[in-house]
Amino acid sequence: MADKIYKFSSSPHVRAPRTTRQIMIHVCIALMPACIMGVVLFGLKALLLLVLSLVSAILSEVVYLLIAKQKLNDIIKGFDFTSCVTGLLIGLSIGVQTPWYVPILASMFAIIVVKMIFGGTGKNLVNPAVTGRVFAFMSFTSVMASGWIAPTIGSLVGGVTLNPTTGATTLTDIFTNGTLPTLSNLDLFLGTGLSGCIGETCKLALIIGGIYLAVMGIINIGYPIIYIAVAGLFTVALNGFNFAYFLPSILSGGLILGAIFMATDYTTTPNTTLGNVIYFVALGLVTAGLRQATGIEVVSFVILLMNLFVPLIDKFVINKPFGYKKVKKVKGA
Amino acid sequence: MKTNFKKIAKDGILTNNPTLKLVLGTCPTLALTTMAMNGIGMGAAVTFVLICSNVLISLLRKIIPNQVRIPAFVLIIATFVTIVRLLLDKLLPDIYESLGLYLPLIVVNCIILARAESFASKNPILASAADGLFMGLGFTLALTLMGAVRELLGSGAIFGVKLWDFQIGFFAQSAGAFFTYGIFIALFALISNLIEKKKKQKTLAVNEIGAEV
Repeated sequence: MADKIYKFSSSPHVRAPRTTRQIMIHVCIALMPACIMGVVLFGLKALLLLVLSLVSAILSEVVYLLIAKQKLNDIIKGFDFTSCVTGLLIGLSIGVQTPWYVPILASMFAIIVVKMIFGGTGKNLVNPAVTGRVFAFMSFTSVMASGWIAPTIGSLVGGVTLNPTTGATTLTDIFTNGTLPTLSNLDLFLGTGLSGCIGETCKLALIIGGIYLAVMGIINIGYPIIYIAVAGLFTVALNGFNFAYFLPSILSGGLILGAIFMATDYTTTPNTTLGNVIYFVALGLVTAGLRQATGIEVVSFVILLMNLFVPLIDKFVINKPFGYKKVKKVKGA
Repeated sequence: MKTNFKKIAKDGILTNNPTLKLVLGTCPTLALTTMAMNGIGMGAAVTFVLICSNVLISLLRKIIPNQVRIPAFVLIIATFVTIVRLLLDKLLPDIYESLGLYLPLIVVNCIILARAESFASKNPILASAADGLFMGLGFTLALTLMGAVRELLGSGAIFGVKLWDFQIGFFAQSAGAFFTYGIFIALFALISNLIEKKKKQKTLAVNEIGAEV
């Protein structure tokens, strides 16, 4: 028995029937409405981009593990679908106007550099999908941030009938021009006629996914709501307490996608309830402030930035141990 | 005392490569590696200053009192940096322009001060000159290679010659600089570890043969 190696995992050593793989499959299911609506709104090109980012994310993980001399059987047995979630999120958070190689490079960067080099699932410092998107945004700014295409319901049926808009997205309306968007709140909610990334336009689909996750007990729905509400209210406050800004500001851009699916990643959120509240409030404040200051969509950048603060929050916000009494300071001791 | 030039050369370029092994002079490394040409320009300037200051410090090593050696070193280095600046401004204004602020900053470059402190102030002139040359070469090589990779990926060109339109802007920005630097340090460590392993096996094999004989 001398050659038997015991594998240790970090605490808590609680046995639960739920595994990482199951949780991630649930997240994949929750992303499905957004994917379907993205394809319906933006056409087959959106499907192609989603499939490309998904497949390249999975392939990069498998190839990395093969290079790290793991057996293919073990890889398949231990495959935990986190790379599926990462790939889907990257596909959802790019615009349909981007060329085919952007999602592939973003997925490869997200999986290999952000996740695998740091030790794989659960060891990553920042959210892979967000970082992959930021990488793509920084690398291909010209194609990622302009030439947005406004979708129509019939685009899948009618083939290629998409017209590129002149680049004035709803966010530009609110934050650069200081005017309210021309689209109604219902259009913003359903994503009809709204330009943007594949997955972020139809808020209804995202919210359905979020509710599914909350019902399955995978995320605490309170946290995304804190994020969205704080971001919306702070935008209102910055615009002279004009509450007409509230709904358009939370319904435009990638705020809901980021709040429900990206900011709630287990590995990159604080461990305590109070820490989480601080984290999501800060996310909302920074998002609204930076949106106002820069006039572009900053949700992914803000999530990346706040991810780096998570260890700091965890260091200072510690749960009080059961039965712990504060040690009184003795003067002159 | 016989100087071991082979060891000095190996130290400067491989085992103690200032950029990739000692992680000195990171500021110009990160800021100037957007283009391969910058690496050559910066490397040449640093190498020149390094050789000259090493020689002078080695000459004066018995005169400079220990207590004021750092100000004395900095004074000597600053003299040569001024010479380089004036020369480049007159002869190669393009390179002078692209190096910008980082040229006067050579004065406080850790590589030069570190070599002055740890080598030139303890060794004879010829050895110090050789050390300056090979440390400078190591720095130049590292900067040029990093610059070539970043230029190729970030702007689709090499040494200013445009190859294709495909650009990954990430590598042209500062985040890409840190990323490339990290990858380079890792690759360099990997390669030198492999070489060392092979050498160890060779000496082991030689020893075994010797034992059998």
